[in-house]
Amino acid sequence: MVRPVKPVLILGMLAAVFLALAPLAADPYLLHIIILILMSAVMALSWDLLVRTGQLSLAHAGFFGLGAYASALTVNLLGAGWWVSFLSAALVGGMAALGLGIIVLRLHGMYFAIATLAFTEVLRTFILQAQFTGGAVGVTLPAIFGGSRVAAYYLVLVVFILCLLVSVFLQKSRWGLAFQAIRARQAVAEVLGVNTVKTKLAAFVVSSIFPSLMGAFYIHYVTYIIPYEAFSLNISVSALVMSVFGGIYSTAGPIIGAVVLKILEEYLKSAIVYGYTVIYGLILALVILFMPNGLLGVMRRVAGGGRVGQIFRRAYGGKRTGDQD
Amino acid sequence: MEVFFQALVNGILRSGLYALTSVGLALSVGVLRIVNFAHGEFLMLGAYLGVFMFILFGLDPLLSLPVAAAALFALGLLIYRYSIKFVLEAPELNQMLLTFGISVFIQNLALILWTGDPRAISSFYRSLTLELGGINAGMGRFLTFVIAFLIITALYLVLTRTRAGKAMRAVSQSREGAGLVGIKVEKIYLYTFGLSAALAGMAGVMLSMVLYAQPAVGLEFTLKAFCIVVMAGLGNIGGVIWASLLLGVTESIVGTYVPQGTGWSDGVFFILILAVLIYRSRGVGQWFAQ
Repeated sequence: MVRPVKPVLILGMLAAVFLALAPLAADPYLLHIIILILMSAVMALSWDLLVRTGQLSLAHAGFFGLGAYASALTVNLLGAGWWVSFLSAALVGGMAALGLGIIVLRLHGMYFAIATLAFTEVLRTFILQAQFTGGAVGVTLPAIFGGSRVAAYYLVLVVFILCLLVSVFLQKSRWGLAFQAIRARQAVAEVLGVNTVKTKLAAFVVSSIFPSLMGAFYIHYVTYIIPYEAFSLNISVSALVMSVFGGIYSTAGPIIGAVVLKILEEYLKSAIVYGYTVIYGLILALVILFMPNGLLGVMRRVAGGGRVGQIFRRAYGGKRTGDQD
Repeated sequence: MEVFFQALVNGILRSGLYALTSVGLALSVGVLRIVNFAHGEFLMLGAYLGVFMFILFGLDPLLSLPVAAAALFALGLLIYRYSIKFVLEAPELNQMLLTFGISVFIQNLALILWTGDPRAISSFYRSLTLELGGINAGMGRFLTFVIAFLIITALYLVLTRTRAGKAMRAVSQSREGAGLVGIKVEKIYLYTFGLSAALAGMAGVMLSMVLYAQPAVGLEFTLKAFCIVVMAGLGNIGGVIWASLLLGVTESIVGTYVPQGTGWSDGVFFILILAVLIYRSRGVGQWFAQ
């Protein structure tokens, strides 16, 4: 753990003022980009919550799509209001995570990673095949808040702040220590009295509720979604790459990663319409090989007086740098 | 009853490709102890190789098999040498993230280079049909099954009869033990990874023969291959054949009898994975004991 330093606090306050006042200054396009960045930050940060226990989840896209469909169907079939539909998205996402987690979180990490990937693919198959979901045509909703972008902005900002608080709480409380113990060595954590299955399960449920909420927000915001988009693997890929790029096991890392990579993505999308995700694959492989602690790790070492070259040599030597905190 | 036997035959024929893909994955998981998320991408590249060889040089897919094996073997060596090698001692999370990144990279590169449109070849294997007692089998599918069977048999002989194969099995049993008796573990890792990619590449060529090449096809095969490897038990190559048959036949039967079944059959592997994982995590004995 690194002690919070003053510049961080000042930066944080500046960011808070900027985020609170952004709608006053930004034009609609810029505001749209900021909304997308906040969404990405929630996705990346919530993905990090689970990885703190050492588990790799590839189900973020699954929960995103599940949340989008749960909220859309709550509105369309039951005629509920938007906040009820958000609650239903969170509930459905949380329950699904609980069910999947109970089955696979007892096992070695790789089973969990594959099962979460398969879970996403199967959810899409199910939504495509089932009758009540609209199949391949997708679902539409009326725009939230009568299409007010500023109101939508504040809604996503609230979810972001919630996610931030949860992340900081999980870091500072006993949970943070339990997470760290589990990912360092599960057997030792058990001996120390950590209920590893329950702890991982709790992390997975919390980590899955946020993408479900983001799915609900997304469908309300853009008013239209198709299964191939809602359950696209790219959603999981971008969330995890942003997190790994910024620096996992932290609150700041995923947020930094989301800001940098989302801007890069928006720029790339205009150049390469299909397949811009190629850059995410490349970044992921390179980051794991050369700086497994992400940007944050590099920044810490530079701030700590370490030589940058040393980081690269150490990372390339395949040391267990990922375990250090 | 005829419908049932037809479904059974279709399922059995389908399992040949599954087995060939999974055997490669089982080998790399068993020996290197790393889950390779890019395994399906090797298959996808093999499928494109088959398509392009046919379009550009008029090469019969069967003749593309050795080409794909060599090309993917070389690619496997390169990927091992310049990436996998460096995470052998890293936490499992880093290993999975690395191969996942490679998978995303290759898949999207294919999407940029060759677009998302499926590409198929119109070789004469597609038009021929074998018939026996009212049950039909496409020539192409029949050939993929036979060739997959031959390749797996050859692999079995390599693993049991040659020094290199025995060394691979030794490393998969105990890395330290193998090192102590003078096996160069690093070399074995390198060649195993190449061999695993080559097997996927050959499966890919045959996929182009009976289905099509498309950038996203790899993911589906990675998942199904992993399902098979989990059913078989890690590192159990004989079990892979039975597990492949089980998956292929179940998919085929679901596709035949369930309404709109061809869509639902894509989900069969997930149910099988979950069933096996529940079985593994609790142990059947515990269920009965309670």
